[in-house]
Amino acid sequence: MVVVLLPSLLATEAGGQGRFELDAETVREALRELPIRDLIFDERGQLRPLVNVYVNSAQVDDLEGRLADGDEIRLVAAVAGGGRGAVEKVSDTHSRLSRVCHQTRPQPADARLRTGCAPFGSSRAVSPRCQTP
Amino acid sequence: MGVAVLAGTRKGLFVLTSDENRTDWSVEGPHLVGWEVFHAMRDPRDGTLHAATNHMVYGATTHRSHDLGETWERTEGIGLPEDSGLTWEKSWHVEPGHPDQPQTLWLGGTPGALFRSDDGGSSWTPVQSLVEHSSREHWNPGAGGLCCHSIQVDPSDPHRLYIAISAAGAFRSDDGGETWEPKNSGVAADFMPDDPFPEVGQCVHKLLVHPARPERLWQQNHCGVYRSDDRGDNWERLEGNGLPSGFGFPIALDPADADVAYVVPEEGAENRVTPDGRLGIYRTRDGGASWDLLTGGLPQAAWQSVKREGMSFDRLDPAGVYLGTQSGSVFATADGGESWVEAARFLPEILSVEAAEWS
Repeated sequence: MVVVLLPSLLATEAGGQGRFELDAETVREALRELPIRDLIFDERGQLRPLVNVYVNSAQVDDLEGRLADGDEIRLVAAVAGGGRGAVEKVSDTHSRLSRVCHQTRPQPADARLRTGCAPFGSSRAVSPRCQTP
Repeated sequence: MGVAVLAGTRKGLFVLTSDENRTDWSVEGPHLVGWEVFHAMRDPRDGTLHAATNHMVYGATTHRSHDLGETWERTEGIGLPEDSGLTWEKSWHVEPGHPDQPQTLWLGGTPGALFRSDDGGSSWTPVQSLVEHSSREHWNPGAGGLCCHSIQVDPSDPHRLYIAISAAGAFRSDDGGETWEPKNSGVAADFMPDDPFPEVGQCVHKLLVHPARPERLWQQNHCGVYRSDDRGDNWERLEGNGLPSGFGFPIALDPADADVAYVVPEEGAENRVTPDGRLGIYRTRDGGASWDLLTGGLPQAAWQSVKREGMSFDRLDPAGVYLGTQSGSVFATADGGESWVEAARFLPEILSVEAAEWS
């Protein structure tokens, strides 16, 4: 059995339930069991670019990774903000990007963030990578 | 009978309610916390609330409520065919179907796509004829994306539909959405100097069908205000007649008088703010031949912007007209625009207003 923890909006959409205990062998399998799977996967079954997945406090990109009994999966919405005109500057400027990104994110153990930052109103999500300062 | 104005905002949905006098308003909300509500409406056929909702992280969807907002349910599985190469990006507008089709609804959005529901909004099927429209390669997204923002059902014929897409233009279907014909004759695309009157590519900002005279259509376009008296076959540009600018986004009508329309001009595409440093609404009572400036009760030291869904009208007599600004105020008139009251202020950025019966 694994545990999945949802942020508040997803918990609301799941009928007020923010913690799920599931039987699943992979991360993807666990996430596909959730009643809000349409909000974290797009219509092609791809994880939405601004949804970050952590397993036991380490961010994972590989959703096919095997889970062990008792693993805890946490979904985190990437921090994003700024205006339309700011996105290029943000994504182009490492130091500023880092400053924007680290403000409210949980800090994974290896201190390496994989962060999506996009402006409100942006029609395209961008997913730059950055490191914590 | 009471009236409600559903104000969709960048931060959820607010419900403004009043009695038939429409002078004293109560504000309730927000509903759908965390969601951008591009448009919301109350289906007059069964009272259900429907909202076109978007989230920067979690994508585009719709929500509906059968209990006036006490509880909401989300639609799952909205998507475009994989072989189209298109993906669903934004939900813009949800429209009730014809009264003869009580379970039918229409949903428009980005990328220039339309969905149909025949189960009251539980599920949505893409309108393939629009996905595959032969003119699609000539469509270009406006600043808000390639958005299908206007959906109108001819009240006299359930098979006749109109849509408008920025910037693809207006389209009419006479067969319930099986085929779509561009309806942009006479509509300018001044931003395309090499072909200022193309068959498609016009930047319609909002298109409405007059509810009592359905052969008459109005549109506020990027390049002027237009009226058609033949179901969109031909359009007449209405300018040089009192409007300070042809540029604006919303338009509202009077259901009892097909010659009346309201617009909110902005200075122009390069400076999207109400002209002359005030919030002015312009009204025609002669089909667009002339326009009068309305200022009663409106702020006269103001630099405002109103979204394409930022005006609506109710079905009372006389009809109320509603305006929601990007700065979070809702203005209402119950006397044909002569006097306005500020029904709400300090709301989040208003993306849409839609009037509804509310008892």
